Amino acid sequence: MLARVGENLYWMARYLERAEDTARLINATTMMLMDMPRGASFGWEDLLKVVGLDEAFHTLYDEAGEMAVMSFLIQDERNPSSIFTCIRHARENTRTFREVLPRESWEWVNELYLYTSTHLGHALDRRTRFEVLTEIIRRRQAVVGLLAGTMSRDEGFQFMRLGRNMERADMTTRVLDVSYAINLPYQNSQYYDLVWMSVLHALSAHQMYRRYVGVHARGHKVLAFLLNDLKFPRSVRHCLHEIQFALDELPGVEPMRRLQGMLNLVDQADYRALAANGLHGFCDDIQARLADLNTVISQTYFRAAHPQKMAQSLFSLV
Amino acid sequence: MKIDCGHYPLMGGFDELLEAPGKPRSGAGELCDFFAGLAPEELEARHRAVDAAIMAAGITFTVYSEAGNIDRTWPFDVVPRIIEKAEWDRIEAGLKQRLAALNRFIDDIYHDRNIIRDGVFPAEVLADSKNFRAACVGANPPFGVWAHICGTDLVRDGDGTVYVLEDNLRVPSGVSYMLENRQLMKRLFPELFARYDVLPVDDYTAQLYDMLAALSPREGERPEIAVLTPGIYNSAYFEHSYLAQQMGAHLVEGPDLVVLDDDCVYMKTIEGLTRLDVIYRRVDDEFIDPEAFRADSVLGVPGLMRAWKQGKVGIANAPGSGVADDKVVYAYVPQMIRYYLDEAPILPNVPSYLCMHEADCEYVLANLDKLVVKPANESGGYGMLVGPKSTPDERARFAELIRANPRNYMAQPTLSLSTVPTLCEDAIEPRHVDLRPFILQSKDFYVTHGGLTRVALRRGSLVVNSSQGGGSKDTWIVQGVC
Repeated sequence: MLARVGENLYWMARYLERAEDTARLINATTMMLMDMPRGASFGWEDLLKVVGLDEAFHTLYDEAGEMAVMSFLIQDERNPSSIFTCIRHARENTRTFREVLPRESWEWVNELYLYTSTHLGHALDRRTRFEVLTEIIRRRQAVVGLLAGTMSRDEGFQFMRLGRNMERADMTTRVLDVSYAINLPYQNSQYYDLVWMSVLHALSAHQMYRRYVGVHARGHKVLAFLLNDLKFPRSVRHCLHEIQFALDELPGVEPMRRLQGMLNLVDQADYRALAANGLHGFCDDIQARLADLNTVISQTYFRAAHPQKMAQSLFSLV
Repeated sequence: MKIDCGHYPLMGGFDELLEAPGKPRSGAGELCDFFAGLAPEELEARHRAVDAAIMAAGITFTVYSEAGNIDRTWPFDVVPRIIEKAEWDRIEAGLKQRLAALNRFIDDIYHDRNIIRDGVFPAEVLADSKNFRAACVGANPPFGVWAHICGTDLVRDGDGTVYVLEDNLRVPSGVSYMLENRQLMKRLFPELFARYDVLPVDDYTAQLYDMLAALSPREGERPEIAVLTPGIYNSAYFEHSYLAQQMGAHLVEGPDLVVLDDDCVYMKTIEGLTRLDVIYRRVDDEFIDPEAFRADSVLGVPGLMRAWKQGKVGIANAPGSGVADDKVVYAYVPQMIRYYLDEAPILPNVPSYLCMHEADCEYVLANLDKLVVKPANESGGYGMLVGPKSTPDERARFAELIRANPRNYMAQPTLSLSTVPTLCEDAIEPRHVDLRPFILQSKDFYVTHGGLTRVALRRGSLVVNSSQGGGSKDTWIVQGVC
């Protein structure tokens, strides 16, 4: 597999995962806001913090009102992580390696892009937002399913698997970290259950949590579920295992070594203690290690593509 | 919207499907019946489905304009063009004959130049050739074949004669559209394929693969084959990725490749370097190797010519093949066929006036309003003068250009290109077409069943290039009607 193609596949999968995760997060937030007491502190500004884009937002907009934040996260092309920018990048990337994917993949990614570009306006309006974002998620999932059902488990497939899970693990720690901080003031209030539930919602994890852990959202149990559950596909542990399986199929040893350190970390953490104190530092650590793994992956596989450039500058980890 | 062969405003020239309104040619009757039975709403629905399918498939080409490069979807017309197998067999034989002679010519030009010594081909034409590559002299590509993929443009005149208009030997494009057009037709009009025996076109990519594999310098079952593209901004990028995908080949850009001290070509892969055996290059040869040709090229691979000349890598088409893709050289192809193959040409050339010959030049200058004047080395329909449609100013400008550089110009009478019924707004109207079959040659020959029919969508226009308002049609070689 060409180094350039491997790199494009990796980033294409990251872009699409980021688009979907953002859509899920926005949907969950919109729903949750309606449950919160009026005047509660979780607002649109906090959503920007969750995705790490509050600074970027304020260089372009003054006030973090609903319309501005939605526009920024959903359709603003100046935001390299907006849903539209991600999907457009994914489409442009897909054009450069159409030959390695099953034929319909390009068509479906292209259709996802065409749908997104013509319907984005409706995602700004609360009444139609859910429907449009859900359709974007549906179409993105169709691409994932198509690849799962028709593509050989070759190196190209493994690079997409790597990209998808790197992005997802990063998003999970980010959402966890920031929502926890935001929810902290409610620690001893009647909303305690609600705020942890909202974290689960933001990661589309509430149903599986209830099914496998329990109906009440307790802090340490939520953390253990989102960070260390083996079976839930958005938990960090699960993503790391997926990364491990992908690396197993690829040459090179260094990425695997770095991964092992992270696996040990989530495996040995004391979640009861973390729920009380230190979650922020823990999430920071994982994010730094993911960024490091991203660099090592670039150096190991993509260096031949461009000797000078180590990471994709346009879309590096925040 | 209705396709009614009974009300068809024939233009007076040769129409490929209808002899007269309501009178289909042999082979086209079933088609007319089918369309006659299609309700207007039904036709409209299918027409919309075509557009949607093209949009979704992202079948595009790029138009270069002052306003920037725009990705346009491929204009496709639903009425197919039909050619009967018996006629096609003769055309196919003529195309193979022509490419065989052209390859003998190229090989001769880069070796002993017998054809010049024997006085059949003028030395001064070669001396002025823009596409002659001195670096290729003495090279010995496998089978003595240089031009492995040729797109030959055919046109039919008013009396029904099929002429060769030009031979595209550099990086001819369009074959992916031929394949896509058939896919579209099968999806949208499956019933039609039950009524006809249409020869399939989709073995082209397998044939292309076999042709390329035969150029591999190494023994082995699966040589490493790559399509070399200038990149995503090239107008034919869609085709490059399409062909790579269909052949299971790599799609590479210049910077993906490197030539090492052993003169072999390597791909930069995730595991390091992997040797490459055959390159189907879609980059003009001027740009393929900054060491040998244009030093400013970023599209090429330094050392590629070295590797090729030593037989360490196969390149299709071979560098230097373009020497025979020249509208003046074209005029000599019938002589080449007689000279190298000792055969009579099966397909005629369009009569051509070479401005390098004084008598021809005078005739051309005196008849600019009746002729089509073409520069020798342009492609894509650029830089032409279509006499009957030109203004006195344009003619004066061309007269100057010709006088300044007669070798670079040739002229041909304006042919009344044949027409095919084409869906325009609500009804069918005649539109002019040409036909570009693709011919492969390495160890064996292969000719596509039909080719890409390009259609000038503007009423009365003779320009079929997609960059200038052309579209395309599916082309059927039919064995007989069931």
